Amino acid sequence: MIKVVQISKSYQRKLVLDDVSIEVAKGQIFGLLGPNGAGKTTLIRMLNQMLSPDAGQLYYDGQLLQPSHLQHIGYLPEERGLYKNMEVRAHLIFLAQLRGLSKAAASANVDHWLQHFDIQDWRNKRIATLSKGMAQKVQFIAALVHQPQVLILDEPLSGFDPLNVELIMNEIKALKAQGTTIILSTHNMKSVDEICDHAALLHQGTLLAQDSIFNLRQTHAKGQIFVRFKGNMLSFANALWTDFTLLSQHEPAEGLFECMLQIRGERTVNDLMRSLQDQVAVEHIELLLPSMQEVFIDLITQKEHQDV
Amino acid sequence: MSKFLLLTVREIQERLGQKGFWYMLVLGPVVVLLILVALLKAADQGKQELQVLIADPGQIMDHRLMAQEEKYIHYYFIDDYLELTEFEKGKAYRDFDVLVELNEKVLNNKKCFVFYRDQLGFDARIQLKFEVERRLEELIAAQHSSLSAATFRQIKQGIIFDFRDLKDPKNESKEANAWAGFVLGAFILFFVGLYGMTIFRATVREKSNRIVEVLLASVRPQQLMLSKIAGIGLVALLQLFGWVLMLTLGFVLLRETLFVDILDPSHWGQGGPERLNPLSTLVFEQLNLPFLLLHFLVFFAASFLFYGALFAVLGARSSADADGQQFLLPLIFLVSFGIFAGIYAIYYPNTTLANVMTYLPFSSPVLAFITLAKGASVSAYTTVLLSLVVLLASALLLLKLAGRWYKNSILKF
Repeated sequence: MIKVVQISKSYQRKLVLDDVSIEVAKGQIFGLLGPNGAGKTTLIRMLNQMLSPDAGQLYYDGQLLQPSHLQHIGYLPEERGLYKNMEVRAHLIFLAQLRGLSKAAASANVDHWLQHFDIQDWRNKRIATLSKGMAQKVQFIAALVHQPQVLILDEPLSGFDPLNVELIMNEIKALKAQGTTIILSTHNMKSVDEICDHAALLHQGTLLAQDSIFNLRQTHAKGQIFVRFKGNMLSFANALWTDFTLLSQHEPAEGLFECMLQIRGERTVNDLMRSLQDQVAVEHIELLLPSMQEVFIDLITQKEHQDV
Repeated sequence: MSKFLLLTVREIQERLGQKGFWYMLVLGPVVVLLILVALLKAADQGKQELQVLIADPGQIMDHRLMAQEEKYIHYYFIDDYLELTEFEKGKAYRDFDVLVELNEKVLNNKKCFVFYRDQLGFDARIQLKFEVERRLEELIAAQHSSLSAATFRQIKQGIIFDFRDLKDPKNESKEANAWAGFVLGAFILFFVGLYGMTIFRATVREKSNRIVEVLLASVRPQQLMLSKIAGIGLVALLQLFGWVLMLTLGFVLLRETLFVDILDPSHWGQGGPERLNPLSTLVFEQLNLPFLLLHFLVFFAASFLFYGALFAVLGARSSADADGQQFLLPLIFLVSFGIFAGIYAIYYPNTTLANVMTYLPFSSPVLAFITLAKGASVSAYTTVLLSLVVLLASALLLLKLAGRWYKNSILKF
């Protein structure tokens, strides 16, 4: 749906994006990750045609990105802003019309979303009178009121309380289910773990990694296994031999143990199961995958070590 | 509705939704009219009602002053000296404002004292002096010669040296008109400056509250800048129309109520209407107001585009209001330059510098109005039109450049 091909961009001789290529498939939730200053906002602004690349191309649904595509793209920027003197409904209609909707269509869509979020009571409130969370919600609606095919969300969860975080997360999932392609730029790695299908990690303008979330986590797995069993701890330890190292152990109930193991050499989870089958009663065994937070830190740390 | 129109309409709605706009719409003309009334009244001091008592112990004047007395100054005579304390405190003299003391030898020593209770206006002093002096001149002429009073005055009168421009031998381009034109031109710069600040502040606000990032995902920066200039410019024009309408009504009302005698020659004193009230005559009689208003609108629009682009760029380059104040200073100097250029051109109209400043977009609105108000000849009017073309061309060029600067600056937070 969105294809970024060898994009480069400099500001006053400082390279902020260096030969970056990314592909976002239709209907995907794509995490655009990276520390501050990685070039995420620059890339997002290019997708919104606020900036032009120095080199490379951007494609929308197989076509070179053009101004006419903007009406199919929704954007929630990290730094939110609304006209404080305008009323909620009028403001949303104004923004929807700027995205190419007729006034009638804009009004209908705005009313639908106000009802959907159960905030019809706010329709005639001035933006200045809304709390930060309320304003965030209005902005979220503003990003999708014109029913975009691609929705770019930059830190969509910041400023929301846990209840509203849940609400927005569910809304993002629902949009995905309806076929909307979502690009999610966030530092909230829990949300990436939870809702993203794919992710790309940018660091200092370069692309460090791009893959499905599962592959990224598996690639960075550290060979740790979680085991819960009933039986004797000594028998369990003996069964590990030299193939697995016991990292930690915990006895949540009498004769019930939870242990963390580190695989040594080329051993697998199957090898461990075979070793344990006559020794203890295994209740749960799992090869632990790192969280996206750990993948993120791992990749950045590796890159910084390489640079040093 | 196009995006440009949407943005422009929103800009207009926001301005019209502000109480400040409506206060300014009403208060502006009221203040201008009040100032005008104050000026006219100040220039009209000669018409203050005065009761003048002439103490004439020698009965020199024979209880007579002018054949036609000034209707606002009423003269009464006593044939004796009057103590000042008595005049000041005596019940019989309480209604008199002025005491003119003519000593018995006044025709020889030519000295008379005028005592007043409250300060007299300039015109009242001139009028009083004029009327008493004319009567005394009659008496002097009769006492010392066989000449008629009129011949005596003719002999007495000094020769007037009237300096005139060779290019304007009939003195059609009057200096007072030039000043009136200057005021109109300065008014353009004032209005442009006032609403230019609104453009600046609106741009800074959009940038600092980050709505600009949402907007730029839908419209081009140049579109955003132009719509802002157009929206605020239209509001400024609307306010200007309101001002013109209210001021016109105000002028008519003033003419029909407070200044009814302006067009009535029977009320003119010595020297014609200018003598009576030069300012009111200038405003109501000498300026071609419809002609000037038409040009005012055209120059206003061109100047607004020119300065509006500059203010928008400064707003885009500023990250906060306070930050922008530094950038504004040079722009205020430029506006001030236009005003000083106007003053210079009134005093030195035919210098090379004045000619150059006629075409400079920063000063041309003021200089053009000085020329127009003086009653432009064909060649002078051609110069005005040329300066308008230069101003418009500069505005368009600046808008193009400003669009780029605006685009490069607006997303730098």
